[in-house]
This record gives sequence, C-alpha cells and structure tokens, in this order.
Amino acid sequence: MTSFRIAVRLLILLLLIPSPALAQGISGYAEAKGFAYDGRSNSRDPWLLGWGTLFGKWEERVGGAQLTASVRGEWITSVERGTLVFDPADRHIRRAPLSVRDLWVRLPLTPSLDLQLGRFQLGWGKTDGYSPADAFLPRDLSDPFSDEKLPLWALRLSGEEGAFRFEAVASPVTTPWRLPVLGSRNAPLTVEGFPEGTVFNELDTPPPWAGFAALRLLATFGEWDIGAWGRFGVRPAPLLAFRFDRATPTSTGLVVPVERRYAREEGVGVELSRIVGAFVLRGEAAALFSGDRDLGNAYIGSLSLERGFGDGTLLITLAGNAKTTPVDASLLFDRAILPVLITAWNRTEEWGEWKLVWTAELRHGDGLLKGEAGYNLTDLWKLTIGGELPYGSEKGPFGTLDAARRVHVALRRSW
Amino acid sequence: MHENRSVRKILLLLALAALLTAMSACLAWGGADARALLKESENRHRTRTQQYAGDLTVVNKDGKVRKKGWKSFREGYAGDARNLIRFTDPPEVKGVGFLSLSRSAGQNPDQWLYLPSMKRERRIAAQDRDASFVGTDFNYEDMEEFDHEKYKVALQGEETLNGYPCYVIAATPLEKGGKSVYEKKILYLRKDILYLLREDLYRKGEKEPTKRLILSDIQKIDGHWVARKMEMSDLRKGSRTTVLLKEIAFDRPQAVGRFTLRNLNREGGD
Repeated sequence: MTSFRIAVRLLILLLLIPSPALAQGISGYAEAKGFAYDGRSNSRDPWLLGWGTLFGKWEERVGGAQLTASVRGEWITSVERGTLVFDPADRHIRRAPLSVRDLWVRLPLTPSLDLQLGRFQLGWGKTDGYSPADAFLPRDLSDPFSDEKLPLWALRLSGEEGAFRFEAVASPVTTPWRLPVLGSRNAPLTVEGFPEGTVFNELDTPPPWAGFAALRLLATFGEWDIGAWGRFGVRPAPLLAFRFDRATPTSTGLVVPVERRYAREEGVGVELSRIVGAFVLRGEAAALFSGDRDLGNAYIGSLSLERGFGDGTLLITLAGNAKTTPVDASLLFDRAILPVLITAWNRTEEWGEWKLVWTAELRHGDGLLKGEAGYNLTDLWKLTIGGELPYGSEKGPFGTLDAARRVHVALRRSW
Repeated sequence: MHENRSVRKILLLLALAALLTAMSACLAWGGADARALLKESENRHRTRTQQYAGDLTVVNKDGKVRKKGWKSFREGYAGDARNLIRFTDPPEVKGVGFLSLSRSAGQNPDQWLYLPSMKRERRIAAQDRDASFVGTDFNYEDMEEFDHEKYKVALQGEETLNGYPCYVIAATPLEKGGKSVYEKKILYLRKDILYLLREDLYRKGEKEPTKRLILSDIQKIDGHWVARKMEMSDLRKGSRTTVLLKEIAFDRPQAVGRFTLRNLNREGGD
C-alpha cells in the first residue's frame, strides 16, 4: 500500500470519529466536491470534475502577539492543478497542490498601533461583488465563478486615533493573479481570426519580485463611514502577450506561445457609506493611472445598496468604468465584467442557508445566475448543492462561458 | 330621618376612603414607582465591566440542536454600554465578531458584524435590528442592554415566578429612544434583589408575546448578582436559544481599544 493510500485511509478514519469542535487554536476542514458540466469545449474539459481539499489552521497567542498559520492541500482532477513544487508565495500560474495560506504574526507596538507581517489576506472594499479598492489584490480566477482572493506577503501597520483609522501595507513580493487555462471552458477565446485547431501555450513567465505599497485612511462619524486610499507599484493582474511571431505549426494546428507581463499602476480612491433608512448605501470611486499602452487609465465607480430582510440580506451593486480600455477588456481581468449589475440575496434557515446571485453584464446583455443551498447535517458536517448558469451573448464575458454551466455537490467536515 | 343622614355620611366617608385607597394603590403601581424600581435595579447591578465565556445552544422546533461558543466583553451598563462578542466555535462561525456601541438618547446603538470570510466589518442598519443574530433566537436589538430611559414604564402588578415574588412592569419603547422591533416588553423583576427574571417581548401589532427571555441560575459572583443561564424562546417558531455563562468576571480592566472597529477587524483577536 502506498503512503498516499495510507494517508487517505487515516484521514477517513479521523473524519468518522465523532468529536466536539475545538475552541482552541486548531481548526480546519476536509471537503469533497464534485462538478457536473453541461458541455465540453474541448477534449481537455471532462464532463465531471472532482475536487478534494484538506485545510488546517493554527492560531496562538503569545503575550500580546497573535500567530497564525494555515496550510491547504488540494487534489483536483483537471489541468487547473499545478505540479507538486514548493511555491509558498503562489507565484506559479497554476494552483499548487500544497499551499501556505496564512503565516503571519501581529505585534502590538503601542495600545493603538499594530504591526502585522507575513502572508495574509486583505479585504479593503466596502462593496460586495465588485470593489475598486479590492481590485488590485491578487485573485485566483482559475475557477471564474468562485473568484477567490489570494493571500500576499506583506507588512501592515494599522492604527487608530479617535474616530480615525489607518492602514499602511507594503507587499514586497508580487503574488500574481491566477488565471484559468486559456482555451478551456473557463477561459474560452474567440476563435475568430485564429486558424482552426489553434492551441495557446501559456509560458510560466516569472512575475516581478517588486510588489506594491498602499495607504488607507478611514473615519466614522455617526452613521457615516468615510475613507480614502492610494497605492503605487506593480499591478498583480498580468497582461497577456500572444506571441504570434513565435507561433509554430503542428499536425493538429498552430501553437501560439502566450507570455505574461506586469505593468505599473498608480491608483487613488475614495469610499463613502452611510445608513439611509432601511438601507446601507455604499459608494466607491477609483482613478487608476498607468503609462502602459495596453492598460491605460481607468475611472471606476461602484454603488451598492444593502438591506436586511429577516435574517437575510439583499445586496445590489452597480459598477462601471468611465473610460474605454485600450485593449479587449477580457484581457484586463479586473475590468472584464464592467459595467455590471450584481444582485445577491442570502438567508439563513433553521436547516442551513441559501444564496442566489444574478450578475448582468450591461454592455452585451449576458449574465450569470448562481444559486447554492447548504444543509447543516450537524454542527460539523455540511452538504452543499448549487449551480452556475452563464447565459447570453457570446461576445460578453459570461455568455462566452456557456460550456462552463454546471452543478456541484460538496460535503464538508469541519473541526 | 337624622339616622338616615348619619348612615349616608358614613357611607359617603367609606366610599371616599375606598376611592382614596384605590387612587393611592394606583399611584403606588403607577409609572413613577416603576421608574424608581428600574433605577434602583440599575444602581444595584451596574458594573464597570463584565466579561464571560459562554456556550450557546439553539434548539429548533424539531429538536435539532446547534451549539456555539462565544466570548463577551462589556464596558459600561445599559445606556452607556459598549459590547464586543467573538464566536469561538463551531468552525463555521469561529472568528465572527460583533461590536455594539451605545449612543446618546434617541439613537440606536452603532452595531457592526465582522465576518472572517470577507475580512472586513459589515454595518448593521437600524432596520436590521429584527434580524437573527448569527442564527440564534436573539435579534440585534436583543443584544442591547435594557435601558429604561428609552421606555415608558408602568407597574402592572406583582406575580410569583419559580417561588420568587416579582414586580411586573410594562415597558413601551419611546419614539425618542430610537427605533424598536417591539411594541411592548413585560419585565418580571425579582422583588428582593431587583433582578430581571423574565421578559415577554411583543412585536408591533401582536397581542401575544412573540418571544420570551427567562433568566435563571442566579448567583452572586464577585459581589454581583448574575444569571448564569439565559433562555430566549421564539414562541411562534417553537425554537429556543440557551446561553450558559462561564468564566464570569466583573470590573476587570479592559484592554485599551478593545471596543473599537479596529479591534473588531483583528483576525484572531478578542
């Protein structure tokens, strides 16, 4: 018996032993997930996909310091998974089977000033669904429907003085956005203009080491929340360079190498939110500047309304870019779906919870319907079923994903 | 004839006496005394700070049980309370934080919920005060401490609960006290120690209580009376949430900046 099989059997045995949730510093989950697709876009895309995840997190206090570390192991039956290499900073173009999610320490410098350093996730945006303040943070789009934020190596200084708060972040190493495999169902390319059978060979171009720095100021006055931020450095979402000059013909078609490059981009933004009657109203605006010819400038705004209904929330977000992108917007991943209207509704029930999301891209009239229901078998076991239905014009970012229509089932055991 | 007049006088005096007695009883059970009782209750039980670890169990109408663990820190009391709650388990809610900061009379407290999955806080609008607090039978308004100054109060009578004589006080939210989910609250105040034993909660337009909070297992800890068990029942849904307090401490100094948004957003923090 291989060590892998032994490990799997030990894991199954561990999961079957009933145990209370630990209130101490160790937590995590094991999840088995299956996807069934409506169609295949090519021979690489199977009808069914399996996804297994094992996640463990350790948290500890030492005096006033907070230490946190977490590791995730994944097994995916698709090309989305990368090879087993040591990649703690997530700098490769595919998901590492074993990755470090958190590895940070937070030290209180003074009662009102904290220093955090290591690898952690950031969340700056006020609006859910789309936020210009979050758009510069690295994301994993290898599954475009889950849109997972990636942690980054950074140093963060945060403080507070009366009604004012601030955060300064310096991320010295670029954690690049992770993109879906080009030409797969998750990132289909318009075949128009390309000879039939063209294959894109993504090169694992190393991202730059230099990252970015950002500063954020926040204040709360009664029911008003006001904020402003600025950043400079490397934009972690890559620009794709299709090297037709280096294309090679094969017996099945043309093979085109695709390189990645990373532009510099400066940005400033403001955010404002307040409670208006039954709603929480949020607005964000950002101006982004880049000398790169393919990236250019952008003026992005978002407006969201949030309202509670019982123990659920209805959220409506409208976001758009006032400036036309110099290249195809689908190659600028943080701007691909703009302008967009996002409506999300979630509720918790006695048996679990459910959510419905409708995203409508306003330029081509295509969109995405998502639904998910989670049933709590116990406090620790949860069964989730859901589906994603992209629809509409094939010229739009969602309509082009029609081969990615799917349903999924997941079983999770937490501890 | 003369005798008749004397009898009439005596009857009149008796009637007047009865009327005065009734009026004085009415005055004794009127709003002023209810206010005095609630003020005295607040004076007796006010603490500078309070902190505890708690177990929270939600039992739905079918008997299905969900358990949660939390820690709570409070500074101030009633109208000037600041409260931070952090869930410790199960994993699906671990790290979820709740911050409530009282504001001046006429305004609902500022409330925020921190969700680890979003890595940021979410503000609770006053209209969301009826929303379930993290899947329990408590709503966001129930998480506030009772501040009698935001209510019109009247003593309704006396009743015995579990062998303890209680004052029964009706509390009606004042418009100037901020928006309330409830039309009325009926409070049962234990007479000997002026401690709340039960609260019946009437939603707007309801004639019967929709929820009931029962406080029990009352003990004296560090010189302060405290109910170690609180049970909120949703009488319409048939579910109930029980909170058991452990590791209770009063008047301990709280960390500087504990009741702040920055602290609420600290992952892995209290």
